[in-house]
Amino acid sequence: MIGSDIPRRAAVGVAILVLLLAIPVLGLDEYWIYILTIGFYYAILASSWSLLVGYVGRISFAHVAISGLGAYTSAAANSALGLPLLVSIPLAGVVTGLVGLAIGRLCLRLHGAYLGLTTIAFSEIVRIAFTAEYEFTRGSLGLPAVSLFETTDRIPYYYSFLALLAACLLIMWLVLRSRIGLFFAAVREDEDAAASLGVKVVRWKIFAFTFSSIIAGIAGGFYAHFVQLVTPSMMSIQEMGFVLSMAVVGGFHNIFYAALGGIFLEILLEGMREIGEWRMTIFATAVILILRYAPNGLFGMLLKRISGRRSRP
Amino acid sequence: MSGMALFEQVINGLIIGVFYALVALGLSVIFGVLKIVNFAHGELYMLGGFVYYVFASELGLPPVAAVLVACAVLFLIGMAVEHLLIDPIYRGKVERVDEYAIMITFGLAILLQNIMLSIFGPWTKRPEAIFRGRIEIGELIVSGDRLAAAGVAVVLMGLLLYVLRYTWTGKAVRAVSQDRETASVVGVNAKLTGMLAFGMGSALAGAAGALIGPVFLVYPTMGVIPVIKAYVIVVLGGLGSIPGAILGAMILGLVENLATVLIPDTTRALAYKDAYGLVLLILVLVFRPQGLFGEKVRRS
Repeated sequence: MIGSDIPRRAAVGVAILVLLLAIPVLGLDEYWIYILTIGFYYAILASSWSLLVGYVGRISFAHVAISGLGAYTSAAANSALGLPLLVSIPLAGVVTGLVGLAIGRLCLRLHGAYLGLTTIAFSEIVRIAFTAEYEFTRGSLGLPAVSLFETTDRIPYYYSFLALLAACLLIMWLVLRSRIGLFFAAVREDEDAAASLGVKVVRWKIFAFTFSSIIAGIAGGFYAHFVQLVTPSMMSIQEMGFVLSMAVVGGFHNIFYAALGGIFLEILLEGMREIGEWRMTIFATAVILILRYAPNGLFGMLLKRISGRRSRP
Repeated sequence: MSGMALFEQVINGLIIGVFYALVALGLSVIFGVLKIVNFAHGELYMLGGFVYYVFASELGLPPVAAVLVACAVLFLIGMAVEHLLIDPIYRGKVERVDEYAIMITFGLAILLQNIMLSIFGPWTKRPEAIFRGRIEIGELIVSGDRLAAAGVAVVLMGLLLYVLRYTWTGKAVRAVSQDRETASVVGVNAKLTGMLAFGMGSALAGAAGALIGPVFLVYPTMGVIPVIKAYVIVVLGGLGSIPGAILGAMILGLVENLATVLIPDTTRALAYKDAYGLVLLILVLVFRPQGLFGEKVRRS
């Protein structure tokens, strides 16, 4: 990113944040508040996924399985062990962080399609196991989870998910703009060259998997106590396809674009309800066209137009 | 567990293995020539099932003819997909080739699934089988539709092996698999070969979908599980290896069918049926990434 561009980008970011903060005050319909809250959840998933894919160059299809794991962890820790949500949700982050650490460690030698296949396999094994072990998970019926707030009002959920999204984006941004971001880019561009220059390639690859898994797990933990029912369908490949579409449409080379893609696609998904299944057909077509002709995504393209200068190839 | 029941499971395992082999071979041919894993392969298999359903059940074509139609349609679709989405990689139009190839084929998979979902709905369809009834060999009973379909599948595989081994096209495919640039230097049209390979791979997937449609039913998400098994197989056999794909398919078919009868807790054994292969996949990828037959390559 070019230095002189940052104030302009920050201004756009602040404007969007202020708009999102003001929406409930402006009296938007409850239903849309609810949809936006789900959109924030997907924004966290899409941005933490794009951290892995766009910045480190490591593809993973296990991201929604990991967030589902976080959801199950928090719901089970709360109902079976009686832990308060203040403990169970961070615990979800710890558990998924450890899982991310293990995946990162096991997949060190893998890249590209091989990594894609391994993570798909992992994701499916988790989903099959959680469906099969019905004594613990109630199978496809799903595990009930207590609600985050006592009230049925949507607005507290809206603000807590917005705060969570903002916090996740801030932490990711701080990490990415530090030296670690440079190490990520070095690993993405040329692992061997980076290693020869003293970059601890192994450490940063494992760190990236762990870090993005923690974020996905905490998001999943929060989500469990928002929808109040955790089902294995949360971990399906279709769901992963949805998160991938959001990141690609928004722009997976930038966590903020990916997050906007998450909110944007969730709104579209609800807004175009009348056309039914054709929605996903349209999204998938958009994914293919954007990958082929506008790899920076919709928002990358848009912002380039607005700022009127080349920022990043 | 009687010896006969065990033998029956072995036969069933081998029959299922034949269908797995058909899907895996297609994946392997595509990987060999284009060096990409086609994440939309399961959806090409699903399209084969639907083409077969339309021609055999709705238009009343004889089943074997409908299988051939499915092959032909999928061959053309595969060529088009290669031309539109994969070929840009080789014309240097794409940054981050690895991620592009994975995501574009994954995007294609979502697209095809949802198009079919929109047109045909999520309900299962049972198209006309090639042959109904059961075949009894002594005490052994094998369902006729599976056996007949497996027979056609074996013929198609034989045809593929013949083409790869003895025809000019097959030689071109093998040449480009080994070294794209050198093959181009000696006059092989690598672009056309790539299209042919993707077409052939898609036709094989389509044939598998058409043949197995009457047994496992046709619906938009029918490709998700079989293709994951095909990944297991090609990774087991080594990506791009033809004998590896066939052997890997037989191994997986046997493992699945025997594990279901050999594990004492039957309901649990069945629930995990689709997971055995995946565990195998992770083990192979982590400990022997080149597979049983694949060559070890260093990332450039």
